[in-house]
Amino acid sequence: MSKRIILVSVVIFLVVIGLLPILVMFARSVIVKGHISLTFYRGLLASGQGWVLIEHSFALSLLTTLLTTAIGLPLGILFAKTDLPFRRVFSVLFTIPLLVPPYITAISWFSLLGREGLLAQVLGPSAAQVTSAWLFGLPGYVLVLFSTFLPIVMLLTMTYLNTVNPRLEEAGKLVSGWLRVLKEITIPLILPGVLLAAMLVFLLTLGEFGVPTFLRYDVFPVESFTQFSAFYNFGAATAAAIPLAIITFLVLVVERIFLREKTYQLRPAPDGEQSAGISLGSSRKWLVALVGLLCLSIVVAPLLVLVFKSLSASAYTEALSKAGDSLLRSLTYAVIGASLLTVLGFLSGYLIHSKGLPFWRSVDSLTILLFALPSTVIGIGLISLWNRPLTNFIYATPVIIILGYLARYTALTSRITVSTLAQIPPSMEEAAQVVGAGWLRRLSPIVAPLAKRGLVAGWLVGYIFCLRDMGITMLVYPPGRDTFPVRIFTLMANGSAELIAALSVIMIIATLLPLGIGGVVFKLRKRV
Amino acid sequence: MIAKIAKYPISVLLGSLLLISCSKQADEVVVYVSEDQIFSEPILKDFEKETGIKIKAIYDTEEAKSTGAMNRLISEKDNPQADVYWANEPIRAEVLKQRGISAPYFSPNAVGIPDIFKEPEGYWTGFSARARILVVHKGIKEKPLSIHAYTEPRWKGKAVITNPLFGTTTDQMAALFTIWGDDRAKRFMEDMKKNEVKISTNNGESADLVASGEFDFSLVDSDDVINRIRQGKPVEMVYPDQGKGDIGCLIVPNAAVLIKGAPHPDNAKKLIDYLLSKETERKLALADCAQIPLHPGVEPPSEVKSIEQIKTMNIDYAKVARKLQAIQPFLKNWVGY
Repeated sequence: MSKRIILVSVVIFLVVIGLLPILVMFARSVIVKGHISLTFYRGLLASGQGWVLIEHSFALSLLTTLLTTAIGLPLGILFAKTDLPFRRVFSVLFTIPLLVPPYITAISWFSLLGREGLLAQVLGPSAAQVTSAWLFGLPGYVLVLFSTFLPIVMLLTMTYLNTVNPRLEEAGKLVSGWLRVLKEITIPLILPGVLLAAMLVFLLTLGEFGVPTFLRYDVFPVESFTQFSAFYNFGAATAAAIPLAIITFLVLVVERIFLREKTYQLRPAPDGEQSAGISLGSSRKWLVALVGLLCLSIVVAPLLVLVFKSLSASAYTEALSKAGDSLLRSLTYAVIGASLLTVLGFLSGYLIHSKGLPFWRSVDSLTILLFALPSTVIGIGLISLWNRPLTNFIYATPVIIILGYLARYTALTSRITVSTLAQIPPSMEEAAQVVGAGWLRRLSPIVAPLAKRGLVAGWLVGYIFCLRDMGITMLVYPPGRDTFPVRIFTLMANGSAELIAALSVIMIIATLLPLGIGGVVFKLRKRV
Repeated sequence: MIAKIAKYPISVLLGSLLLISCSKQADEVVVYVSEDQIFSEPILKDFEKETGIKIKAIYDTEEAKSTGAMNRLISEKDNPQADVYWANEPIRAEVLKQRGISAPYFSPNAVGIPDIFKEPEGYWTGFSARARILVVHKGIKEKPLSIHAYTEPRWKGKAVITNPLFGTTTDQMAALFTIWGDDRAKRFMEDMKKNEVKISTNNGESADLVASGEFDFSLVDSDDVINRIRQGKPVEMVYPDQGKGDIGCLIVPNAAVLIKGAPHPDNAKKLIDYLLSKETERKLALADCAQIPLHPGVEPPSEVKSIEQIKTMNIDYAKVARKLQAIQPFLKNWVGY
């Protein structure tokens, strides 16, 4: 009974924090002066701007997806299956851009290619004009998001490669070389995982707000924010956000039909067998040079320029004096958000994994939809629902930020839980059930300890995403309670480049620190 | 032992949420700010130090400059969270008055500020201003002296203007509509377009484009030019339309606004008094934003003229505010949205 009550409570909570704000927002956009009207939607399409936005958003998402998939897949194979030198170091380095807010990556590229960037100092102002124009347009936008989302394809490829039965590859190798085995056996087997990664990249690019705002490229999330923020037009803001919701929904329907059963659960290769590694032979040298060059260009160089630009004691002192309080707040919100996400994700993941309620599929779809929706949509929805005198204890306090985190990021911890639980034999819980242990008793001493690594991973992922969030926080933060990413954004207006660089470096350190600590603890415990 | 997983962490975390939701301070003032955070925050910190009243602020982002905070005020009309709005220009302060969001307050520290920069009924009071001036590249031999340069053939493709949907450029266009009338102002804007004017995202970018020599001139705020001059960039400033019979230069003061139904009205008045003081004007003149003091006797920054030396545009800010809202569809269309 307690199981049912808790799981139903989780569903109600998700509906209230996630679905309800969006429904309220949608209702406000179609009810004009008490009557149903599509004025705002007609306005968006009639202005011609709507079609331009659709074109921009689609072009950017498609290009970013194609590029990340084309590069991420071979990188994933190189790092997971070959004897490429430094492959572990490379895989860690390539992952860094995913861990920091994308607009920080944009700032670092700006420090390199901008009008007064490093390249301008080396090559002169005329070259800088070209690179600057290039950065503040389609190529620049694709470049920044490519380097940010490349790790998604790379890491998922590596993960799915571990699920391939090595016996199939070995059988293939009896009649042909590795290239053909990869092409005809391995890649088709991991294709659902690669497509899932591509879908994630597409949706995340579609909903990205910080980078196009910084690079001033007009796409739906920016238009939605502008309509709300610059014209105070809730209806038009929602109208600009709805096409994104529809596209997201359609992509998820496609995923449900074609991919879900194949990518739903990650299982290690049977019997824990490891696939034989691919020996690169004489190609090792030029492949490591090529990967090294890519890593240097899209990860190391922009980050080094940022660090280089920030190298003055006064910049860091100023950064901490101007934004130290925001940093502490961000860390607090991220810790609370990550902890609540871990609990909520564990319970909803358990519900999905165990099919604990008849509508478990809807819960799964809801969390994914909320994750894929642009953060501005969720932010505007939260304002629509909670901006009332009766609910000031939510709207006028940081609770509104935490609710935003929970609405947007539960999918991450939920999916991690599903994958973790898939690896725990159901017999363990069933045995406890046979001897009469109630659900909560079974969770506490049996399931939770077995899922500990998954819970820690979920917490870390939740922490990173809460800490780097800007789209939701920017719209809803209460007075005097801004977060570090928001503070960086507002200080950009007339703040010195050194100050912004120092703030960005602090942001990167704050993001990576718990991962570093987690890594050290993990290694120490492994040794013990 | 029961429910360590489900109950205990939830209780702790919900408790922490409850704590942060209840942590209200009585002696505080909530201010929404459109002036750049880098310049406004030190003033607000000084206020905090001197009075002991805690400041809680929301700052605008660069992209939604001077409209984001105001729009939050509008959305919170029936549930006000703010006590004071520090606007970086007075037009939107007028819009707030017209929408019934602000309340009147005559600060004793407003004495001495010229009447043109004060709302007659006390709904907003101006302080520390910027001038809308032409930033011109030093390499240009014959300088443009009027905003009409935007429509002259010799400057075809050589001028840049900030997107008129945002910030002080919107104010400039709305002011021209009130002075010239709709037809002439629309014609002026269409002629600008025919003269291949480039549209930039913000005034800072416009000034940079001129400084780098990509364009000859642009109409921006005085602080944008001073900032570039102090960085040693090859630009200079021209006060436009200063001749006899000319329309003059638009002055854009900051504006302090009391919010109707402010949760902390007494502290709000103290903050407004502080913002309107000579001391605050002195600080904003000395800061990198180099704003022009409106109180007589406060020294302006060395690079700019005092308010008495400038031929200012004679406008009614209330009319400009009404016009600003009316011309939004035209401006959107002009920009191409």
